[in-house]
Amino acid sequence: MTTDTIEFRQSNPWLETAKGEKRGYIQPAKLTELWFHTGTICNLRCPFCLEGSKPGDTRIQALKLDDVRPFIEEALDLGVEQFSFTGGEPFVVKDFIKILQLALTHRPCLVLTNGTEPLFNRFADVVPLLDLPHPVRFRISIDYPDEQRHDAGRGPGNFRRAWATMKRLHDAGFTVSVARQRDKDEDVNAADEQFRDLMEAHGIPRDRTIVSFPDFLTPGSTGHAPEITESCMTTYHTEETRADFMCNYSKMVLKKNGRMRVYACTLVDDDERYDLGGTLSDSMNARIVLTHHRCFSCFAYGASCSEK
Amino acid sequence: MENTVKVIDVVWHTDAIYELLLERNGQAFVPGDCVALYAADGQASRPYSFASGADDPDLRFLIRRMDGGEVSPHLASLKTGADVKVSPPFGWFRPGQAGDNAPAVFIATGTGIAPFLSYLRTFSSRPPLMCLYGVRERKDAVAAAFLREHCDTRLAVSRETAPDAYHGRITDLLPELRLAPEIHYYLCGLDAMIDQVTDWLEEQGIDITHIHRECFFNAEV
Ligand SMILES: Cc1cc2nc3c(=O)[nH]c(=O)nc-3n(C[C@H](O)[C@H](O)[C@H](O)COP(=O)(O)OP(=O)(O)OC[C@H]3O[C@@H](n4cnc5c(N)ncnc54)[C@H](O)[C@@H]3O)c2cc1C
Ligand code: SF4
Repeated sequence: MTTDTIEFRQSNPWLETAKGEKRGYIQPAKLTELWFHTGTICNLRCPFCLEGSKPGDTRIQALKLDDVRPFIEEALDLGVEQFSFTGGEPFVVKDFIKILQLALTHRPCLVLTNGTEPLFNRFADVVPLLDLPHPVRFRISIDYPDEQRHDAGRGPGNFRRAWATMKRLHDAGFTVSVARQRDKDEDVNAADEQFRDLMEAHGIPRDRTIVSFPDFLTPGSTGHAPEITESCMTTYHTEETRADFMCNYSKMVLKKNGRMRVYACTLVDDDERYDLGGTLSDSMNARIVLTHHRCFSCFAYGASCSEK
Repeated sequence: MENTVKVIDVVWHTDAIYELLLERNGQAFVPGDCVALYAADGQASRPYSFASGADDPDLRFLIRRMDGGEVSPHLASLKTGADVKVSPPFGWFRPGQAGDNAPAVFIATGTGIAPFLSYLRTFSSRPPLMCLYGVRERKDAVAAAFLREHCDTRLAVSRETAPDAYHGRITDLLPELRLAPEIHYYLCGLDAMIDQVTDWLEEQGIDITHIHRECFFNAEV
């Protein structure tokens, strides 16, 4: 964390809205889930990618086993219950299988994947993960139930490939889920139902988890979300719903400029003000002020990368 | 982090397929690895697979110029001594990844032959059992002579007849493929070919852990 960042955290624009009201915040209570960002390298280059990931990208660098090990140990000391992995595409990262093997000896894991060639090519290494002490679940991105709409973003053929991978993972004995995009004003149940029909058509049980996300915009976008004040957090939220904010119970670890850093959650890694330090213990006491435009998605729609 | 490297040469094989030679500057890689090469603006980039051997003095890429594309026409226009922005190597497709003694079959369309050239230029003593190589016109088969020196190569040319090639699609040659559960199949190039060959191999009882794939081009391109 730079001195600039520390000073900024004590400054008015960080703590107060444009109208001078106190901004809403979350005071993290615990660490039940630790996310690792495996890097912004991906085999695809989806134009909507909230991480700006693409082949060869190094904005967030690829993790190595030795980068991850100390954070796993520290998280275990802090009582973590699950390790989760996102990218980029985690299976592009050379050390990823070794990283998963280490994590799975300690806790259950969740892996977000686009379900295409990088995972396909490592299937022989993936299946033996079933023999480790804890289970790994895979969440596959299938943006829309409409093949053409999915492929327009992810490239022709990738809808079919992602479903085929999901089926292979299911048949091998893994629990799978779907990450989909949420349209403005959609009927959530009707949209989920279309996915459930597709699951059934692909031989996957209808009751698998479906997690949906609004458009988070690409990294560095400012968005035009309303500002969240302290009173918003008490008027529209309760103690119970505040506890469900990802930044209350999780952190994300990633590598930028050759240094391992802890960020407040999975959605704010494009904003250095959410860099909470170089160790988990350093990061635990930091109050998370809800100024990022993606914080509004959590505030308004309960957006969460978790499967809590 | 990205590097800037100098162009040694751009060598044209046909009016659309060229080889880009870059200075190596000690860059290590393994066959199957790619790098992202950048357009003039330093922003737009596309992945390209190494076609040179892991111990060769220069870096070589075999590229099809896509008219109207953001990156391949720019790379095609570079002159000796020009700078190119290059990402660190990465990859998820490694011909021969199943091990030194695992028998292999290579199947490629177009410039999808690049990673197999890199493999053969690195491990010439461990050739695949056979290679199926599909192109549109005979002149596009820029690697045919080299492949034939190393392994049993079956060439398919889809848009014209040629004395040394089957006239038709590469997938028509599938019945000629050597099939055995211990063989590993490496597919690279057009995604439609990759999907069809995968389905066919699975129908023949080949386990998917023995199928390895790299899509260069989507069917609509
Ligand atoms: C892992 C990997 C390795 C690769 N290695 C190689 C390699 O070794 N050699 C090689 O030749 N290629 C390789 N490719 C393909 C390469 O990365 C590029 O996709 C290719 O060179 C085209 O890039 P471009 O920027 O020139 O064209 P793009 O800008 O990507 O456009 C491609 C074509 O589509 C057209 N087009 C673009 N957008 C649209 C649209 N919206 N609607 C309709 N048409 C459109 C363009 O006019 C152009 O003809 C590889 C790809 C991958 C994924
Ligand atoms: S597959 Fe996922 S990480 Fe990769 S570019 Fe697309 S949205 Fe981004």
